[in-house]
Amino acid sequence: MLLEAEQVSRSFGGFLALSDASLAVEAGEIVGLIGPNGAGKSTFFNCIAGDLAPSGGRIRFDGVDVTYAAAERHAELGIGRTFQVPATFEELSILDNVMVGAFLRHHRRADAEAKAMEMLRLTGLDRMAGQRAGILGTPGRKRLGIARVLATEPRLLLLDEALAGLTPSEIQQAIELVRRIHATGITIVIVEHIMEVILSLAARVLVFNQGRTIAQGKPQDVVNDPKVIEAYLGHHHKRRRARAPA
Amino acid sequence: MTQRRIASLALAAGLLLYPLLVSDLNGAAFLQDVGATLLLAAISASAWNIVGGYAGQVSVGHAMFFGAGAYVPLLVFDLWQWPPLVGLPLGIAVAVLLALAVGTPTLRLQGHYFSMATIAVAELIRIVVSNWDLLGASIGIQGPAIARGWWDLTFRSSVPYYYIFLGVLAVLLYATYRMERSRFGYYLRAIRAGERAAASLGVPVRHTKLMALAMSAAFTAVAGSLYAFKLGYVNPEAGLGILVSVQMVITAALGGAGRLTGPLIGAIVLVPLQSATNSWFGGSGTGLTYILYGGIILLLARFEPGGLIVLWQHLRRIGARKPEVAHAA
Repeated sequence: MLLEAEQVSRSFGGFLALSDASLAVEAGEIVGLIGPNGAGKSTFFNCIAGDLAPSGGRIRFDGVDVTYAAAERHAELGIGRTFQVPATFEELSILDNVMVGAFLRHHRRADAEAKAMEMLRLTGLDRMAGQRAGILGTPGRKRLGIARVLATEPRLLLLDEALAGLTPSEIQQAIELVRRIHATGITIVIVEHIMEVILSLAARVLVFNQGRTIAQGKPQDVVNDPKVIEAYLGHHHKRRRARAPA
Repeated sequence: MTQRRIASLALAAGLLLYPLLVSDLNGAAFLQDVGATLLLAAISASAWNIVGGYAGQVSVGHAMFFGAGAYVPLLVFDLWQWPPLVGLPLGIAVAVLLALAVGTPTLRLQGHYFSMATIAVAELIRIVVSNWDLLGASIGIQGPAIARGWWDLTFRSSVPYYYIFLGVLAVLLYATYRMERSRFGYYLRAIRAGERAAASLGVPVRHTKLMALAMSAAFTAVAGSLYAFKLGYVNPEAGLGILVSVQMVITAALGGAGRLTGPLIGAIVLVPLQSATNSWFGGSGTGLTYILYGGIILLLARFEPGGLIVLWQHLRRIGARKPEVAHAA
């Protein structure tokens, strides 16, 4: 197992945002985390990424206990993450943004620059390398976020709504990009609202609702699970559906 | 790029020749003294720039490092009649230890809270020193009145100081230039732009900030020592007062914080302005310094937070009628 999270909980004050979430990811998988707003998937994601310390449970990455390790230690071990709001270093150039990531494994400037350029080519930003990152729009920033984290050479990539806010054609491009990244041997855990994305990318999904995991399995099976339908649409939907003519 | 190189060379040549160029003018000694003061302000502000500019951790308590650099050399002379120069490395050591001790808790604070904490610590140190007899309490301590040799670094003319300061500034700017292009420099700018994102990319945020503060403190202590060599005297207000810290912040911000030559440009504008107000208005000039600083803060915050360098870039772009190239990906 590359990543093992066992019964991870996290509370904020008296509010239990996440209780007993477990996830095991094999090397080479793409796993999706889905669920309605406030279901705890982002909390779970941030616990795995090292941004939040869990209140309970245990997280191991490639045999190393990372439950309470700092975010930078996660990066060092090979867990990379993107942000829902891309957190671009706006004042830096696009190349420099990616070089910050590349410096993790390449201490010499020339090597870091070469690595960064490689990642910019992969994400299609190479022709804008010298420009200020602040000029990028949302799709560009999401690409830059991916280029930046790939430059740290992660073995596990955590994508936090990397495709939210994109137009349908941009989504198709982004799906292609994620496939290409996966093809280079990187394991991916993806949080996503857009079902289309999850269905076409993930082989396995974990469904969250009210801080718990309510279903797990192949995306096609999970979307037909009554509990999942209820979580997304409420029980009125079930009754109405039952009454509706076939 | 080449234009920039020419500008830098012209600036370097100007600084190198300045004392000779003004030596035949009326009031040459005064002008040379202003030159030395200018370079000293540039050194302090450049030292501040490492942590305040590049790393974006706006310390308003750098007087504590400046004071350590100023007091220690004079103290070793006062106690044991050692040449003040011997106190320089000791002053640096005290400043670095102080930076580590103060930075470890305060660098956990964000934004204004960090600035406020540094003000509080620096003021505390000033008050303690003002009441500490070993350090001359509120009167301060003095260095050698008459040079026993060159190594006392006590000269009548400002010119030797001018060139010593210029040498130190050159070393500091070269070190900063190398830092800018190194991994450490990239990490500092990433921290300034967003700590959370920086950490996610493997930047050891707290350690990097602490190293930046220590490095900045070391060079600020050098500036303090140079001040003590030149003046031969320091008191709590001149060595540890809040104005000392504020001057570093304003000088760097005026030119352009987080840019290599920003503090130097800030000093070139600010110091002559200060000297002019001080000599026109005599003893009442100190109050005017505050007004000047306040005015500069106001103008910078309102119109050009990037400082004069960014302002110049904007003006040039308007002059060349070249719109900013903005592609959206």
